[in-house]
Amino acid sequence: MQINLEEKNDIAVYRVTGDIDIESSPEVKKFFDKVAKEQRSKVLVNLKEVNYVDSSGLATLVEIFKNLRTYGGKLKLSNLSAKVNGLFEITKLDKLFDISEEEDDALSSF
Amino acid sequence: MKQKTSIANDSNLLKEVSKDLISALKDKEVVEEIIFDIHVAFEEALRNAMIHGNKNDPDKEVSVEIELSDDAVTICIEDEGEGFDPDKLPDPTFGENLLKESGRGVYLMRHLMDEVEHENDGRKVVMKKLFEKKHL
Repeated sequence: MQINLEEKNDIAVYRVTGDIDIESSPEVKKFFDKVAKEQRSKVLVNLKEVNYVDSSGLATLVEIFKNLRTYGGKLKLSNLSAKVNGLFEITKLDKLFDISEEEDDALSSF
Repeated sequence: MKQKTSIANDSNLLKEVSKDLISALKDKEVVEEIIFDIHVAFEEALRNAMIHGNKNDPDKEVSVEIELSDDAVTICIEDEGEGFDPDKLPDPTFGENLLKESGRGVYLMRHLMDEVEHENDGRKVVMKKLFEKKHL
């Protein structure tokens, strides 16, 4: 699992590569704990290269969402694969998260 | 193919066991979307057995039985814990539960598989998924 940051104006774009599951969730959580500590106000997580997410991964994303919300930070997700998006739909997390099909759409919606 | 194994209650083994199942499904040319559903449900069930059922006790084991045919896979996972009442699990999609960081495992299993039954006071889960062959 790998996370790369690209700054696009005032938006921090994090591109995740690999699974977000029981094995990688602690690492993902630790990474975004730092992001929350930095109080990034606009955060986009691009999941294009994420092929597998389990309930631990979903829980980690919910935790990131809540952590950012404590200081008014906004979290958006983009580029979910059909399979991963299906998990968000089943768990109704698609109603909680602001999800865009493409990164550009997410960037312009902040 | 029918296979029954007992595995040590070690969550590090989880990926190893699921890798074997996925490989067998790929050999059967099951469509990718269906393999994904089985993959998620299988790991959720195994993780529940190890963490919630056996409570991470290294002296306990999890029994895994997989029956793979041309049309479907049936997975049976049983732990040595105290069991639970699956009907009393809160709906993770309801209200504030959406913001909780747990409680989605069984819900996902029920939605991703065609049949999910809990037996032996919740210690055992039997799941079935029908699949289609790839059209070559």
